[in-house]
Order: sequence, then structure tokens, then C-alpha cells
Amino acid sequence: MMVLDQITVAAGAFELRDVSFTVPTGSYAVLMGRTGSGKTTLLEAICGLRAVTAGRILLQDRDVTQWPPADRGVGFVPQEGALFSHLTVREHLEFALVVRRQPPETIRSRVAELASWLGLEPLLDRRPQGLSGGETQRVALGRALSFQPAILCLDEPLSALDDESREATCAVLETVRARTGVTVLHITHNLAEANRLADVRLRILHGKVLPDSSAVSQ
Amino acid sequence: MNPARTVIGLSLAIAGVLVLLLMWRPGAGNSAGGQAAVPGRPLLVYCAAGLKVPVEAVAREYERRTGVPVQLQFGGSGLLLNNLRVARRGDLFLAADHTFLDAGRSNGLVNEVLPLARMQAVIVTPKDNPKNLRSLQDLVQPGVQIAFANPDAAAIGVLCRQVLERSNVWAALQPRIKVFKPTVNDVANDVKLGTVDAGIVWDAVVTAYPELTSHRDPTLDAATADVGIGVLSFTEQPAAALRFARFLGARDAGLPVLASHGYSVVEGDVWSERPEIVLYSGGVNRLAIENTIREFEEREGVSISRVYNGCGILTAQIRSGQRPDAYFACDVSFMTPVSSFFRPHTVLSETRILILTQPGNPKGIRSLEDLAQSGLSLGIANEQQSALGALTQRLLDAEGLTARVLPNVRVQTPTADLLVNQVRAGGLDAALVYAANVSNVRDHLGIVELPQPLAMAAQPYAVGRDSKNARLMERLLQRLRSAESRRQFEDLGFRWRDTVSTQ
Amino acid sequence: MKAADRSPARRRSDRIFLASFILLGGSYLLILVAMLAADVGYTSPGHLWRALQSPEIRYAIRLSLLSCSLSALLSLWVAVPIGYLMARWQFPGKGVVDALLDIPIVLPPLVIGLSLLILFQTPPGRAVERFIPVTYAVPSVILAQFMVACAFAVRTLRATFDQISPRHEQVALTLGCSRSEAFWRVVLPEARRGVLTAGTLAWARSLGEFGPILVFSGATRFKTEVLSTTVFLELSVGNLEAAVAVSLLMVIAAVGVLVLIRSQGIESTLGRPL
Repeated sequence: MMVLDQITVAAGAFELRDVSFTVPTGSYAVLMGRTGSGKTTLLEAICGLRAVTAGRILLQDRDVTQWPPADRGVGFVPQEGALFSHLTVREHLEFALVVRRQPPETIRSRVAELASWLGLEPLLDRRPQGLSGGETQRVALGRALSFQPAILCLDEPLSALDDESREATCAVLETVRARTGVTVLHITHNLAEANRLADVRLRILHGKVLPDSSAVSQ
Repeated sequence: MNPARTVIGLSLAIAGVLVLLLMWRPGAGNSAGGQAAVPGRPLLVYCAAGLKVPVEAVAREYERRTGVPVQLQFGGSGLLLNNLRVARRGDLFLAADHTFLDAGRSNGLVNEVLPLARMQAVIVTPKDNPKNLRSLQDLVQPGVQIAFANPDAAAIGVLCRQVLERSNVWAALQPRIKVFKPTVNDVANDVKLGTVDAGIVWDAVVTAYPELTSHRDPTLDAATADVGIGVLSFTEQPAAALRFARFLGARDAGLPVLASHGYSVVEGDVWSERPEIVLYSGGVNRLAIENTIREFEEREGVSISRVYNGCGILTAQIRSGQRPDAYFACDVSFMTPVSSFFRPHTVLSETRILILTQPGNPKGIRSLEDLAQSGLSLGIANEQQSALGALTQRLLDAEGLTARVLPNVRVQTPTADLLVNQVRAGGLDAALVYAANVSNVRDHLGIVELPQPLAMAAQPYAVGRDSKNARLMERLLQRLRSAESRRQFEDLGFRWRDTVSTQ
Repeated sequence: MKAADRSPARRRSDRIFLASFILLGGSYLLILVAMLAADVGYTSPGHLWRALQSPEIRYAIRLSLLSCSLSALLSLWVAVPIGYLMARWQFPGKGVVDALLDIPIVLPPLVIGLSLLILFQTPPGRAVERFIPVTYAVPSVILAQFMVACAFAVRTLRATFDQISPRHEQVALTLGCSRSEAFWRVVLPEARRGVLTAGTLAWARSLGEFGPILVFSGATRFKTEVLSTTVFLELSVGNLEAAVAVSLLMVIAAVGVLVLIRSQGIESTLGRPL
């Protein structure tokens, strides 16, 4: 479960003030808002990449407000994918586990598992250069999920994709929901995605996050 | 696999290998190998770049002979002077001209200076000399382009401009100067490359350029430089530094090497690792110079045998064939008979002759004439053996008192010290001695000053004409002329003179 | 019809454009080649051979290669942290630090040598000298080279780290890395091209360094003589042929090392865009 309680965080020129919302465990939350409204900032705050000036962040009932990103157990998929150019796809999937010093057999089996349900098996020995948009997002996703986090944050994962890839990736995201029970916060400005994936809908407007009631209208 | 550890470890390993390679010096005689010969502490010499070739050869030879490594640091004389002024480390400074050494001396950076060679400014052209330039007159012709050393920095630039200005040639020459170069070597390089028709350089420099010829010009002849090596004031091994300087300036060691590279060398001492010197000195001078000589010995690493005696004896010995390296006599009258064996002397000090009496002057002696009173026991120095004796006789003769005073003479001694002791012991009523002899008894005995101008001795110092260590002896003279030495003379009752004879 | 009419004109203007660029660039290359050719013409294989035979020059070559490598390594050790910190952190006085870091680039190298000389005669400097002789000894060569080369390395790496998006590090942090792990596992590998360039630049700069070495290290045969001071010394005694021969040796050495490093670098960054 993800709880934000009276969060104030600086976002470029302006500030998000007294933001509060809850995402129930295992649910898929979609946060919508205009470009520049502070969506990414909020995501960064949850991941621990940006300091908040007031308020609390509670993940799995623990107050992680002062915790470094490494301890929070949040998987992060940034907008561009941000893959590591010097590592192969396999090494991306291994990354979090290597850092945690997991035994090699554990790593191997986890990588095989991820690769199979994310459809990455043929790409395992490829490097990020030359991967298509959809492939990149799937690798980023696999990387973020490799250490079985409780929370998954996605920053506009589908915005750079063409229609076909978007469709495929949406399907993958649904699989994620089904298989892992992870709590997801998915940021987008695309209504169709929200409609398809969301359990919980939120909207950010003028520095405040509110439940989004404009659900069905399109 | 921790990438941090890998990267750090790898780079540390590479750095370690590099450092080890840097420290391991094959054949340069470092720790590995355990040299049998005693490795002396290395000497650091700042050497004018133009003298690189001959000085390197001399340094190699010196190292071979003595085991002392000589590290040479090259650069322009001016640059080196600035460097050592800041660094304040090193042992010697070899400059292309004495002006740099003088500057060093006035800044307290340089002590002793040993002259090495003289250089003469000449015109230099390519061997084929298409424009047929042979004299300054040729150089000022229109269409000629020359290179000249920077007149504000390079020795040759400074000196030549002075000479040319004095002879009113500078104004005519200036338009022909196509370029000013930082050093004399750069000027020669330009002539060699052909970027100019001619240049003005030192004669010694031309030797290194077989494709160039030099031409003398009578006006330019006035521009000369004196190459010299100076001992730095902050050296930690002055004796070792001086030893190398002596080697370089020795007529049978360093100087021939310089000569073979085209330098006009000066007259140098004969090389010896530890020169043995013989110094003759009048007894009266002993206390005044003993400290100075001892310090000089230690600093230079030489051994000086002092022969103190009455000057009559000393002069006689010289006459009979002895040739001391230097002679510090009691009076000029004892130098004159043997002056042909010495170089022109320097009178360092003088002392007056006075009458020494018992405390309180019981006999009431007030003048020379009073010495003729009956019943007086008088002591004088022996005329033959000592300068004091001879001067005493001369004085008495001049006053016409000889016949009257002589009967009172109870004793004639070879030196004045004996007279002083006898008066102290009460054996004599009076004695005629030097003021310098009585400095430590002034408070115990009576003194009668004498006004006569002849009642004075002037002490000359002269270096042996054929001495193998003439330069060394000249350095001793410089030492004796120092403020410290002067103070020691004055404390003992001498008056300071320090004038060179015009003999 | 209009488009077809304008086509030859456009093609001609294109040709003129390309031609003028090629002309400018080509002239520069021509002068470079001509300089090298003139040098080669002035000396002879005999001179080169004699230079290589000379024990002094052999020592100078060895010292040059070792000291440049060490100086480049040290420069990287220093420039990587500085470049990273300057690119990632904001702090009060950053502008001053920036200016300070540029000083060795702006100052004439000779001044750097002089300053080092003065520094090591101060009491703390002399204290250091008691343990490791510096002035006029080998460590001074490396120090002099390092002071100048490092400034260039810092500039290069600052730009490199500036260009690497912080996102990569941030992702690594969320994946469980500490800042240190994120740096070593993600940022530094990302910057490897820049590191290589900076190291190469530092090496090349060190090889060419002359002024500060002359002042701070002296040019003592078999001790602190490096190839650049050898050229100066040979020149100062009129031995132009030897000076040119040694210069060409330097060119060969430099080209050799640079090619070697670059070839390794290209291999490891094959197909990777900057």
C-alpha cells in the first residue's frame, strides 16, 4: 500500500503542496495530468530521488520519507527507458540481484523467468543500441521488477511507442498486474491507457492530487 | 565482482608498476648493484646552456676520477639565476658572463667566483658568405639582415650594444637587425639556417658550428665576456663544490677541455684534490689571520702550512730559493727585496711602533729620547731577523738617537713576542714593539705612543708569481679582506688599509 | 518545372559549399604535413639512429613514457571525482571553484613551474622534501606534467559527466545501489569514452610539457631530462639536426601511443553512439 500524507515537494518553478492520496495494495493506479503539472516530480519523490520538504510517504505501512531509494523497494521505469549502454539485456535483468549479492543460481532462474514472460528470450545477449521502443520498455520493466519490489512506478511508459507496440506493451502491463500483485503507479496523459489499465484513477491539477471522476468520458 | 574494486585495483597496480620502473635505474648506479667506489654526494651545478658540451665532458671526467656525480642543470644564464634565487638549493653557478655572477654576489647568492675563460664578440657568417660581410662597416650596408641577441637579457646583447653605442655604430646597425633572439645560440642557429645573413656571437660559440666562419672587427673587440663559476651561498657542501670548481678551473684538468672547444682560457691553478699550500707570514700577523686561515682551509678543503717567523728570516729564505705560495710580511720593506718573486702586493693593515714599559711607567719615559737615559734596560728586535728590528733601527737612525740608545739595549730578540714577555716578567724596563703585539697586555703595562711617521709598519700580502695555486691564494686574500677578518685585525690593534700597490 | 530549373544551381551551390570547406580544412592539413616533411628532410636516418643510440636520449625516452603515463593516470584519478562532483552537485562558491580549476589552463606553464618551485621551498614544502626529494628530482617531472595535464582532463570529464543524464544513476539507485555503486556500475562505464579521451589528452599534454619542467626539474642528464627538454638543450648548442631528430622521435612515440589507445578504445565502444 502506498500512502502520501501532506506531501510538499518543489517541482522546478512551482511547488506541489499538501498532496495526499492512497493507493491500495495490489491495485493499479493511473495518475493523469497535463505536461509540466508535476507528475514526474511526484514519482521521483515516491522513489526517493527527490527530497520532500514536508509530509510523509508510507510504503507497506513503513514511513520511508527519509529513506534512500535503495531501501524503499520501489521499481522505477523512467520515461525513456534509460537502459545502461554498456550492459546486455541479460545483465540488465541481473543488475538488481547482483547488487544484492544473490547467489548465481537464484539470479539465473529469476532472469529466465523474467525473460520468458516478458518475451525477452531472443534479446538476452543484445545490447540496448538497436532495440525497438517496445523492446526497450520491456527490458526496463524487467529490470525494475527483477528484485520483486512491492511498488512499481511507471513514467509515461507508452508515450513514445507506436500503436502496435503500445498495444503489446499494454498487454504486458496487464500481465504484470496479474502475475505479481505489485502495487502500480502509472503516469500518463493518455485517457485510453487509463481506461484500459486503471483500478484507481487520480488526477493532478494545480498542484493537488484528486481522485479522477472523469472516468468514462472520452 | 565489484567494479569499483576492479577499477581502483587495476589502476593502482598500473601506477605501482610505473613507479617501480621509474625507480629502477639500470646502470645509473643507484641502490641495486652496490657500487664498490665511495659514491660521493652529488653536486648540483647550474650551467649556462651554451657551455653544455665542454662542461659535460669535464663533469664526466671529474666523476670518473673522484666518484662524485655532478648534476648539470642547463638554461640561459639569466634564467638560471632566477631559478636558483627561488629554489635556494644547489652548489655552483656557471655563468656565461661575470655580470650574472656579480648580480648573484650582490644578492648574497654567490660567494667565491673562479674565472674560467674569456670570450670575444665576433661577426659570424655562413662559410660561403655570399654577401661578403667581414666587418661592421659591411653589416650596416642597406640590404643586409642580421640577428642580434636581446640587449636587455643576453650578455652578448648587453655588452655589444654598449660597445657599439660608445663607438656610434649602434644607430646605423639597428635598422639592419631583422630579429632579436633570446640567447647567443639562437643567433648562431639563425645564421646557420639562413634566415639572416650574419650575426654577432661569442667566438667560442662559433666552434660548435662547422658551417659558419667568424670575422673579427676592431670596434667589436672591446666586447668581451668572462666566463666564471661561482659557489652558491646556500650550498651544503662548500668544500666539495670548491673542489669541482677548482677542477674545472685547473690548467691541467678543466681548462684544456674548454680550450679545445674554442674558449680563451685564463691561467688556472694546477689540479690537486687536496692542495698543499705554504704560507709565509710575519709573527706579528699570526693572531690576526689564524682564524681566517683555519676557516678557509676547512671551506676549501685544502691544507695550509703556516710558517710564522721574523720577516728577516723569511725574506732570506725566499732569497735562497724557497717559493711559498704567498707571503704576508710585517712591513713593505721586507717585501721589496723579493718582490720579483711575487705578484703585486696588497697592503692589508698597518701597525705603529711604540714603547712598552713597566706598569705605571716608573722610569717616566715619554719619548724616544728618554730611552737614552742611563740605567735603563731596553729590549729591541733584531735588525737582521725581524722587520721590527729593522724598522726600529731605521727609526732610531732617523732621529739620530742610535748611538745614545744602543748602550741601553740588553737584549735583541728575533720576534717581538719575546720582548713583551720579558717586560711582563720584569726583566726589562722598556721595549720597542708593535701596537699589535700589546693588545692583550695594554691594561697591565705602560704604553708610550710615538708620533714619528717612520714608527709604523705596513703589512703587505703577495701571491707567488709561479705558485701552482695562485688563484687559491687570491681567494685567501679575498677572505682576508672580508669584514670579519678586518675586525680581527682591528681588535688586535692593527689599523686597516686594504690598498693594492701600483708596482 | 520550377524545381527542375533550380536543381543545377542548387547542385552548384552545394559543390561550392563543400569545396570551400574542403579547401579550408585541407590547407591546414597540408601545412601540418609540410611541417613534418620539412623536419624529416632536415634530419637524416643517420641522425635518428644516432639519437636512438645515445644513452642520454634513451633515458629521456624512458622517462618521458613513464612519467607521461603516470601523470595521465594521476590526472584521471583526480579529474574523475572532480568532473563528477562539478557535474552533479550545486554548492555555494561553485563558480569560484570552476575558475580555480581553469587556472592551470590559462596560466603560462612556465608560471606553474615557477610556482611549484617556490611552493617547495616553503616550510611545508621542505618538510615533504625530507621524505621524498622533489625539486630537481624525478617526482618533480611528474608533478609538473600533472598540474597542467590534469586541468585539461578535468575540463573534458566535466563535459562528459554533464552529458550523462542523471536518470541512469537514479534508476541504479532504485535498483538497490548506493551512490558509490551507482557511480562505479553505471556512471563510469557510461563515461568510458570521455575517460579515454581525457586520459589521452593528459598523456599528450604531458609529453609536450616543457617550460615548467625546465624550471622545476632542471634538465639534468640521466636524471630529469625528458624528450622535450632534450630538444631545447640540443637546440641551445646549435645541434639542430639532433633537435629535429629527437622531435621526430617524439612525434613517432606520441602517434604510436595514441593509435594504440584509440584502437583499444574503439573496440570497446563499437557501435555505441556518444
